[in-house]
Amino acid sequence: MTLQREKRDYSWGMVVDVDKCTGCQACVLACQAENNVPLNLQDRFERARVMSWIRVERYWEGEFPDIKARFIPIMCQHCENAPCEPVCPVFATYHNNEGLNVQVYNRCVGTRYCANGCPYIVRFFNYWEPVWPEAFRNHLNPDVTVRSRGIMEKCSFCIQRIRRGVRNAERENRDVVDGEIQTACTQACPTDALVFGNFMDEDSKVSKMKKDDRHYTLLPHLETDPNVVYLAKIDTDKSAGESHG
Amino acid sequence: MLATLLEFLREKHRTTPMWMKVLIPVLGVGSLGVVAVMGAFLAFVVTAWLGQPIPVLGFDQSVEQPIAFPHTIHAGMGVYTDSTGDQVQGLGMDCTFCHRTVTSQANAGVPPVQFCAYCHQVIGGEESEPLTQVRTAAGIIGDSPHPIDWKRVHRMPDHVRFVHEPHIRYLTQHPDKVTNSTSGETMGAAGVCSTCHGDVASMEEVAQVEPLKMGQCVNCHRDNDAPTDCASCHH
Ligand code: HEC
Ligand code: HEC
Ligand code: HEC
Ligand code: HEC
Ligand code: HEC
Repeated sequence: MTLQREKRDYSWGMVVDVDKCTGCQACVLACQAENNVPLNLQDRFERARVMSWIRVERYWEGEFPDIKARFIPIMCQHCENAPCEPVCPVFATYHNNEGLNVQVYNRCVGTRYCANGCPYIVRFFNYWEPVWPEAFRNHLNPDVTVRSRGIMEKCSFCIQRIRRGVRNAERENRDVVDGEIQTACTQACPTDALVFGNFMDEDSKVSKMKKDDRHYTLLPHLETDPNVVYLAKIDTDKSAGESHG
Repeated sequence: MLATLLEFLREKHRTTPMWMKVLIPVLGVGSLGVVAVMGAFLAFVVTAWLGQPIPVLGFDQSVEQPIAFPHTIHAGMGVYTDSTGDQVQGLGMDCTFCHRTVTSQANAGVPPVQFCAYCHQVIGGEESEPLTQVRTAAGIIGDSPHPIDWKRVHRMPDHVRFVHEPHIRYLTQHPDKVTNSTSGETMGAAGVCSTCHGDVASMEEVAQVEPLKMGQCVNCHRDNDAPTDCASCHH
């Protein structure tokens, strides 16, 4: 495909400091509201058809009584080497030159191959036409397409916010300032466990955080090369033991 | 030779049954009609495919507005006739005077009725039908002020995101890219709208003149080093 611009100023990515995550789900709610994701009512759970571009997974570590609840937010990893992309027969999902894994809704024909290919289970298929209660009529985000039935969707790194941020910078003839563009989830996170930014910029917060010793990516053996980097949980017991002898 | 042929035709005429004599011309005329309808249909499909459908089959795309607002009198520079038959000199107002957010935001915006009332509280005759509607909506006549429910003329499908601001910025900086300008004016924000909207200042009733399909958008983007990444228009 030659439809992309060669020059690459941005490589968007996210760093998730798992140590700071309290599992409060503010990110989940913010994402739902920002991106016109349909409401997950009871019947969706019963049918295992829940749509949630970002989810907080809870798991237990240790044995009772020495047990800890752990939380890890998971969203589309925007893999540089994405398993979902080559399987799409119509090029509805592709990698753009800013490091985003893009889903073109109007191009999508709903084969669901991509969702089968995704090891992180972050792609969601619209089994029904989305409906909102009457009270939500004017609460939809006009900058985001409402996906109709039969279409795949997933986290877009809030591309509408990225585009707006880049446009504002272009209008003022300057570069995007680090921290200027926030996704809905990073903006909502009360503990700053989620941080969004430009990996291309060496001085950005995400670039610095990525260098932390605690960094890891999900399912690294698949070599998907994700643009979401996690920082491991600090175990207070262990580190306390280490530092104080 | 010719005589034999005429004889043959005369013979044929005598032997052809009556029902056939009726049927043949009916079929002839009928098939002409069928060809005409199919031709019109084909023309409709082809023009719709390439851009705007020609309004042959009653699919006229023009929109009827709740108030007959003339862009001519407000934005034009010529002399126009108003609804009461008076000759009015066009005001030549800047497009951005009414479509205020066009240089800064995605939407151009249509002014609220209070905005019209600044002038129309006093300007224009009492007997003008459309102005009576404007004054009623603004609450100058009667006491039930209400917003005017203008109908959209240009509308992108839901899966397309169009933003005015970068286009106005780019076109004001590159006046040579402006097209459709009948007045020849290509400077300033108001001079560039014609590229996509045609010469609105001379329209009694706004109609869409450019197809504004994906091909047109992407062609211009490719020629002007603007983004052609699908995600810049579809998200
Ligand atoms: C006096 C205020 C005023 C001025 C000046 C004005 N407009 Fe408008 N414009 C309106 C109003 C009110 C409407 C909505 C009614 C309609 O569509 O006719 C409108 C509608 C439009 C539309 C159609 C919007 C749609 O629904 O798609 C376009 C395009 C437009 N204007 C372009 C222009 C351009 C170009 C100029 C400058 C030559 C201009 N306007 C000047 C008030 C104005
Ligand atoms: C700068 C002042 C000004 C503003 C603002 C303005 N107009 Fe006008 N408008 C005029 C003038 C002047 C005329 C010509 C009056 C005449 O016919 O004598 C006119 C004529 C009209 C007419 C035609 C009247 C007729 O009898 O044919 C309509 C309809 C109209 N305006 C509607 C509007 C609407 C709707 C708005 C708000 C979007 C608006 N105008 C804003 C100055 C203005
Ligand atoms: C590059 C092409 C382009 C140019 C240049 C352009 N427009 Fe538009 N305009 C559009 C498209 C496309 C739409 C439909 C937008 C949609 O449906 O989201 C539109 C819609 C509108 C609308 C109605 C909806 C709205 O956004 O409020 C108005 C009014 C309007 N334009 C006015 C203007 C004016 C005034 C100018 C000049 C300053 C201008 N436009 C220049 C393409 C253009
Ligand atoms: C006259 C040529 C022209 C036409 C026609 C045109 N565009 Fe553009 N568009 C541009 C240019 C040039 C830019 C980049 C401006 C800049 O940033 O310097 C642009 C920028 C954009 C952007 C902003 C991209 C970003 O960075 O976020 C969007 C969205 C867009 N156009 C959509 C459209 C759509 C949809 C259409 C069709 C209705 C269209 N354009 C038609 C010239 C055009
Ligand atoms: C400059 C803006 C722009 C870009 C870039 C762009 N499109 Fe579009 N696209 C549009 C517009 C505008 C329409 C709506 C046309 C119409 O009204 O039928 C559209 C419509 C479509 C449709 C639906 C056609 C239909 O008939 O419903 C598909 C599919 C599509 N685009 C795919 C893509 C893909 C894939 C890419 C990237 C390779 C892309 N587009 C890039 C502007 C754009």
